Amino acid sequence: MASPLVAPPVAKTKALSCPNCGGPVELRGFGHALTVVCQQCLSVLDVSTPEVKILQQIQEKQRITPKIPLGTRGKFAGVAWDVIGFQRRTIHEDDETFSWDEYLLFNPYKGFRYVTEYNGHWNFVTPLESQPTRFAIAGRPAVAFEGRRFKHFDGVEAITTFVLGEFPWRVKGGENAICDDFIDPPTVLSSETTQHEVAWSRGEYTPGADIWKAFALPGNPPPAQGVYLNQPAPAKGGSMWGTFGMFLLGLIVLAILFATASRQSVVLDKRFRFSTADAEPSIVTPVFNLEGHTAALELTVDANMSNNWAYFNFALINDDTGTAFDFGREVSYYSGSDSDGTWSEGGTKETVYIPSVPPGHYYLRIEPEMDAATGPYRVQNKRTNAMDYHVVLKHDVPNYSFFWIVAGLLMIPPLFHGIRSGGFETKRWMDSDYPPVTTRGGD
Amino acid sequence: MRFPGYLTYGMLLLTGLTWAEYRGWSLSRVNQVKDVPKTVRDNPGAYRSHYGFYPRYVGGK
Repeated sequence: MASPLVAPPVAKTKALSCPNCGGPVELRGFGHALTVVCQQCLSVLDVSTPEVKILQQIQEKQRITPKIPLGTRGKFAGVAWDVIGFQRRTIHEDDETFSWDEYLLFNPYKGFRYVTEYNGHWNFVTPLESQPTRFAIAGRPAVAFEGRRFKHFDGVEAITTFVLGEFPWRVKGGENAICDDFIDPPTVLSSETTQHEVAWSRGEYTPGADIWKAFALPGNPPPAQGVYLNQPAPAKGGSMWGTFGMFLLGLIVLAILFATASRQSVVLDKRFRFSTADAEPSIVTPVFNLEGHTAALELTVDANMSNNWAYFNFALINDDTGTAFDFGREVSYYSGSDSDGTWSEGGTKETVYIPSVPPGHYYLRIEPEMDAATGPYRVQNKRTNAMDYHVVLKHDVPNYSFFWIVAGLLMIPPLFHGIRSGGFETKRWMDSDYPPVTTRGGD
Repeated sequence: MRFPGYLTYGMLLLTGLTWAEYRGWSLSRVNQVKDVPKTVRDNPGAYRSHYGFYPRYVGGK
């Protein structure tokens, strides 16, 4: 009776002799291999029958050393995989050549998987048993699979330019296939179309460091260059806008809270008359009391003037401590009509916030100024100007300017993320069949 | 929590705003002067504002 604690089988090796060079050829694929490439002389051997035949001879100058040596065992999600084959695929576009590497992995229980690498970008690839459904997004090809939508990225003719190790299909240098990639980062669905079949696979973007760790490779992985087709974006602007929305809601709630909780009590409401003919222009108001905590005061001055200006020097003086808050405001209002129609500038009302005024007994000193030379009145044969003005002072008022500033400051990070994310996506799609920006001289 | 840095930044801003609003902070330019004599109430002309004058618009269109 077999023990339930027996260890899982490992890929055992079977040895052959290369009919070309006589060197040992190891088979790790549990009899699945149809083609093996001798690592010594690069002869492509047909091992589907006991009589091993030479199918092709790859030139020594084409030899490539895989970054993951054949025979290396690695673990992904708790499953052990042996690297049993390696091939380089190459495409030619606009007089340029691009190549990527594919490593064939084998586990006796799970079958075959692939690890692909291009410019330091790695994918763990699983063959699909069912085909995705084709459709179109905005006129572009797309596929749907397991509830996700994948946009077509590119379609290329790939040529196998180098092979090494064993393969469960008949492989040889120079073979070509039409490869189409559909992406929904970090996943890519790829179809490979040959004369005989269409094979689909799903690739998951895997950082080089994870590959190195999985296969316990020495040193560091080659640095990733550029942006790869299914590389996950470092920032997702949409999610940050959601957080911004929450903060904006918090701002609105705070504004409502302060609008309702602030006392906004009127502590002074008085009308005055000023004439440039007055011997002493400055006046003081009666003492008023500010209660509660240190808070802002809102002073509004409203002067009945037209085509004129007035300047008000204010001093809010604490009668208990002798501390004064000095400030000034100009009120000016001009209006008229010309060939463009009627116009007006300025206004008769001005508001000023006096920050952080502690509680206590206060009075207000007001010293208005006006231009006497433009005045309509004459006193003792001199031109005189005069006005009535109305001063209202409110204690503990909300100041909404800070809310706008905070809203602006809160918007900066999502904007920055959005721009960064947009730039990343632009770089990604520049290498596709649908570049968002066409370069000069390109199509 | 996808953006801990942004969450911290936003919370600090909202906390700062709440404190600024409670204490009545403002962007207005106000000069504070100590020890104003009591006589100002009886003789307002004896006090001169320490506030700098705004540049004045005296135009019209």
